[in-house]
Amino acid sequence: MQWPLTYHEKKRAVQLAIVLALVAWLAADALTGGAANWQRVWLRLPLLLTGSGSGWPLTGGFVLNIFLGLCSMVLAAVMGTLLAFGMMARNRAIRLPCFFIMNFLRNSPWLVLLFAMLYIIPFNVRLFGFSIAVPAFVKAVIGLALPTGANFAEIIRGAVQSIHSGQWEAARAFGYMPMAIYWRIILPQALRRMIPGWMNLYALLMIATSLATVTGIQDVITTLNTLLSMENERVIVYFYIATLFLFFAYCYPIALLARRMEQSVKGDAL
Amino acid sequence: MFGLDYSWLSDPVYQDWLLRGTLTTIGLALASSAIAILIGAFGALALSLRIAWLDALIELFVELFRNTPPLLQMLFFYFTLSTIGLRVTDPATGLSVPLLSAFDCALVSLSLFGGALCIEAFRSGLESLPHSVTEAARSLGYSRWARFRRIEMPIASRICLPALTNILTNLFKTTSQASVITVPELMYYAGQIYNDTFRTAEVMLLVLLIYVSLVSLLSWGMSRIEQALAFPGYGKGH
Repeated sequence: MQWPLTYHEKKRAVQLAIVLALVAWLAADALTGGAANWQRVWLRLPLLLTGSGSGWPLTGGFVLNIFLGLCSMVLAAVMGTLLAFGMMARNRAIRLPCFFIMNFLRNSPWLVLLFAMLYIIPFNVRLFGFSIAVPAFVKAVIGLALPTGANFAEIIRGAVQSIHSGQWEAARAFGYMPMAIYWRIILPQALRRMIPGWMNLYALLMIATSLATVTGIQDVITTLNTLLSMENERVIVYFYIATLFLFFAYCYPIALLARRMEQSVKGDAL
Repeated sequence: MFGLDYSWLSDPVYQDWLLRGTLTTIGLALASSAIAILIGAFGALALSLRIAWLDALIELFVELFRNTPPLLQMLFFYFTLSTIGLRVTDPATGLSVPLLSAFDCALVSLSLFGGALCIEAFRSGLESLPHSVTEAARSLGYSRWARFRRIEMPIASRICLPALTNILTNLFKTTSQASVITVPELMYYAGQIYNDTFRTAEVMLLVLLIYVSLVSLLSWGMSRIEQALAFPGYGKGH
């Protein structure tokens, strides 16, 4: 380290100072009576994380949000892939409806879609004479997967279209069939460019799982609200900060990783 | 049509509710977008000065708001602003009431959320400016502020218009979450209507349609603006 410090060293120093200031503030607050409040949060943390007071079994809380996010992402990947290929089809009768669906889903608010799914999907589905109850969790998965799938499709389409047209022409000159061009030439190159977008989308979806509280499943916000009705007013702020931090701690590393990947992908534009 | 029953729509009370909710939604979206764009502009300007301690603070703000759920942010502002001490004594009743209404809390929270997104977008817009442009402005004797106002911002704003469209539609959609903190916007009135009529699927479909048309209108308007502002060499002027 030389004096004067470079811009980046200064920034690092300030970031460190901010962290230290936060720690100092927390310590000062703890000494003046905040400790009791943090004690309450610490006591309830297993409940926020897993939905059960002792931390086992896993019945809800933040773990349920993670599980919901993963399930929705899988469903969105399947839907989005189909939709993307539909949008890139030669046939207009396939392409136009797919574009319409994609735009409709991308322009509707996540919360409204979730509510709509909640009320449009029936409580019981009749299959071969059996009546199967559809749990709220499944509705939440579908409701979140719809807008995510539309964004997923857009990412695929954007990446495929960003591949230089020379690649198509060269492949055609070699005598590849259209499907083979997609599978062997275009998609392998486009895949690299999709990954950062998908990671960002997953982080967005994880943040959106907080909306699932309206479906009545025992997610972290439902758990939090149940908790807060038992606690006094002074503690509420501490609980909110703790819950916000849970989401931040989960999503920020993903966003950072996505940005790193984006930087590495940027260089391979033809 | 699919056995849906829309007879309740003929009731003027429900029509009035829908209209009021829609107007509140539009108002909330416009106000928060305006503040968000201002925050974004000044934040990006501050970042372009490369003052280390300021940048660290701004980056912290951006990352905090980008990586936490807007719904939680709203709830946080709604429940904590009043307990931390933002309360006034109502002269009429003598009661201590929160200084900020639900609408104000939603506005504050949405503006900050949108502002964080805008700072990021404007920053990348400013960074993608060719160095030659800044150099030319310098050699013409523009001051730092004039350079930003007359040269960098006009070009950078055209570069990041597509990103801005994304942010504004995102903000418009996020306003629906204000219904959770009892802001009487479209989603809130939708809940009121189906509590009355029990026509949940029909109400939700209609509300979905209203939102989709409004957001589509917004992105269409933004693309028109993009075309109108385009000049050769930047954005759509290629």
